Amino acid sequence: MKIELIEKIEGEAFLDVSCRQGKVRDAYVRFPHYRGIEKILVGRDPLDALVINPRVCGICGHAHLQATVRTLEKLAGFEPNEKVKKIREITRFCEMVQNHIKWFYLVVFDRLGLTYDFRTVHVMIQKINMLAAIFSGQWPHSSYALPGGVTCDPSQLEILQAKRLVQSVREHFVLLVGAFDIKNLSKDLKRLYDRLEERDLLYTGKSLDRFITFGSDSYVQSSKILHGKVRPAKLHNIREFGQEKSHAKGVTYKGKFYETGPLARTMLRGDLFVKQLHRRYKDSITTRIFARIYEVGTLLKKIDEHLRTIDISEPSYTPLEIPDGETMSAIEAARGSLIHKVCIEKGKIAEYVIITPTQWNLSNAKNGESSIIKKALIGAQCEATDIIFRSFDICSVCTTH
Amino acid sequence: MNREHLRSLFTAKSARVDTNKGEAYYKNLYERCRARLDELKKITPLRNIDIAQVLEDEGISRRDFLKWASATTAMLMLPASFTPLVAEAAELMNRVPVIWIELQDCAGNSEAFIRADGPKVDEIILEIISLEFHETLMAPAGHQAEAQLEDAVNNFKGKYLLFVEGAIPVGRGREWCTIGASGETFEEHLKKLANDAAAIVAVGTCATFGGVPAAAPNPTGAVGVMDVVNNKPIINIPACPANPANIVGVILHYVLTGQIPELDSLLRPKFAFGYRIHDNCERRAHFDAGEFVEEWGDEGAQNNFCLYKMGCKGPMTFNNCSIVRYNESVNWPIGAGHGCIGCSEPGFWDKYAYERPMADANIKMAPNGGVEKSVDQFGLGLLTAAGVGIAIHAVASAVAGKKSEGEEA
Repeated sequence: MKIELIEKIEGEAFLDVSCRQGKVRDAYVRFPHYRGIEKILVGRDPLDALVINPRVCGICGHAHLQATVRTLEKLAGFEPNEKVKKIREITRFCEMVQNHIKWFYLVVFDRLGLTYDFRTVHVMIQKINMLAAIFSGQWPHSSYALPGGVTCDPSQLEILQAKRLVQSVREHFVLLVGAFDIKNLSKDLKRLYDRLEERDLLYTGKSLDRFITFGSDSYVQSSKILHGKVRPAKLHNIREFGQEKSHAKGVTYKGKFYETGPLARTMLRGDLFVKQLHRRYKDSITTRIFARIYEVGTLLKKIDEHLRTIDISEPSYTPLEIPDGETMSAIEAARGSLIHKVCIEKGKIAEYVIITPTQWNLSNAKNGESSIIKKALIGAQCEATDIIFRSFDICSVCTTH
Repeated sequence: MNREHLRSLFTAKSARVDTNKGEAYYKNLYERCRARLDELKKITPLRNIDIAQVLEDEGISRRDFLKWASATTAMLMLPASFTPLVAEAAELMNRVPVIWIELQDCAGNSEAFIRADGPKVDEIILEIISLEFHETLMAPAGHQAEAQLEDAVNNFKGKYLLFVEGAIPVGRGREWCTIGASGETFEEHLKKLANDAAAIVAVGTCATFGGVPAAAPNPTGAVGVMDVVNNKPIINIPACPANPANIVGVILHYVLTGQIPELDSLLRPKFAFGYRIHDNCERRAHFDAGEFVEEWGDEGAQNNFCLYKMGCKGPMTFNNCSIVRYNESVNWPIGAGHGCIGCSEPGFWDKYAYERPMADANIKMAPNGGVEKSVDQFGLGLLTAAGVGIAIHAVASAVAGKKSEGEEA
């Protein structure tokens, strides 16, 4: 029996699944939309990319802006000061937080038939977006970051306003989900756990147990886990490949598939809560879902820390020339590592390549190597395909760009 | 609809914003609105929600609500006497069905509009509009969602407002982008849904002018809704993303009057796009005083000086961001020290991209004139009555000669 699952996510994705005796035998992911943003960038001034790239995605536009900025800065051999780094991280972490909260409630809770406090969720999203907008002007789609720094120059007043917002979001968050204590789950975390148990989904969706992260910041360092061992991850080992009947490209690291995203990040950071879950449930949807919501708490704490330690007397911007050349850099977005690669010739973009997190998680199998999504689906109950697919927090508009 | 033709239909005069149309006009309009609201009241609500109750639950007093109504009345450029009608219209929002589709997009408008935020009351009102179908937000996925869309179209034939987010590929990309199981192209999908709509609202720059996908070399042949649909009234709400307040404004106007709001030559509601960013910019005084940011991070930047020299497109961009702002009005791009990038103007990806030397760039004037001009011609003719700011602008002397030829002055 063949099932065709059409997911209306941000954009649209097809999941072709064949089932036998209620179990998934084979799976293939296709993305039917396309805009051609990499092509649009060719021949333009490198700084044009700062305006165009955020529009790749309405949910993680901030990450695209910063990936562009970092790639151009890397080309110039420039490293921004602490103040700039902190402001950029604050806004990017805000974007990740709002994404995770939306996904957790609007997707996971909704799909599992769980109710939630819509009003509080809404207020949290609103406040975290306001916090980002204090520094970035607006959310989504902002342009406040540029090679050399940021355009905003916050005063103590704005820092205070931001501190209040993050405080309030943290309070709401704790009230909603309770503590991340594996032996003593409460509130929404407990309700989610019980629902997964009730539906016999706790151990479902196990994948290759390989994790990779390319972005390096104050939250996580670039590295990978293969066979339980942590090793550095090098950008030059990444290869993209075309896929049939889909506008998305697949991507491998040294010919192998890896999972990226909150689960990979928390595993690489060695966060106890996620490690404990992983010991019992491996990389099943349980660990994947909990890791993502766990990250919200950690990121909010980071934002708060940055707001407390930021030195606003440092300059917001250092003048910078962008030379010709070729380079590649990565940044952590909500859904995982976002990689931008640029080649500049005679002051114009000759080539621009964007590799998004969903490409890592949703590549189809190749050359006998099973992929993350395929491994997670094969052998699972057919009814569980939807929640397994969704547990990766897919973004189709990013993936096809 | 051909844009050049459209533009020629409108003279510069008609593109001007007329905020006082005289007593007789408003009296007549008031009566029509009154009749329309009475008519709507008789219809059974599509969603059984009492807004008074919802607002009360949210801790918003009647007084706050009326305050919001009077601000919205002003935004819609109606006299204060319309405030009670606007309040009533807000309460009747659940009588107008809305279908929202996403085409070649990034979901940014949906994020800005429904899942993110807007001014507090706006957002509650949006929760009660009768959103019959929205691709990203709908719980059912795939085949189920398609069935639901079909139901919504059949139930509300000729009555629903169709909101479109994203561009439509009509060139090489036509066959590359398809919808759902049917495999319809975006163009077929849009035309089918447009046929039964009361009016179409194109939300965001992609749906209005093609946006990012239409940037050169336009790999997919992307165009806006008005280039594809020609048998229905179209309202364009450009900007990337569109401001939620303007979306509410359009729906509210429709509920209130049963008509689409007054539009300019690019089909944008005049209440939102009648003025330039520059006209109401919080940094305008610095422009007039000749105080500019000369380099990112300089003293001028620290003192919130005018960003014109850093490439701000506020003077050529028609939008109300400087008044309405974003994210609970907490800030807006210029507030974060970055100039306006002109994201609500047609073709801005190719013409306005922000690092270009402004004096050389040929920018299409909109909406009151189709002639391409460089920024400094623009500036001398239109920017400022006092001319103080421009007088000390670095290139002012170089182009001073053009002033005498300027036909706009």
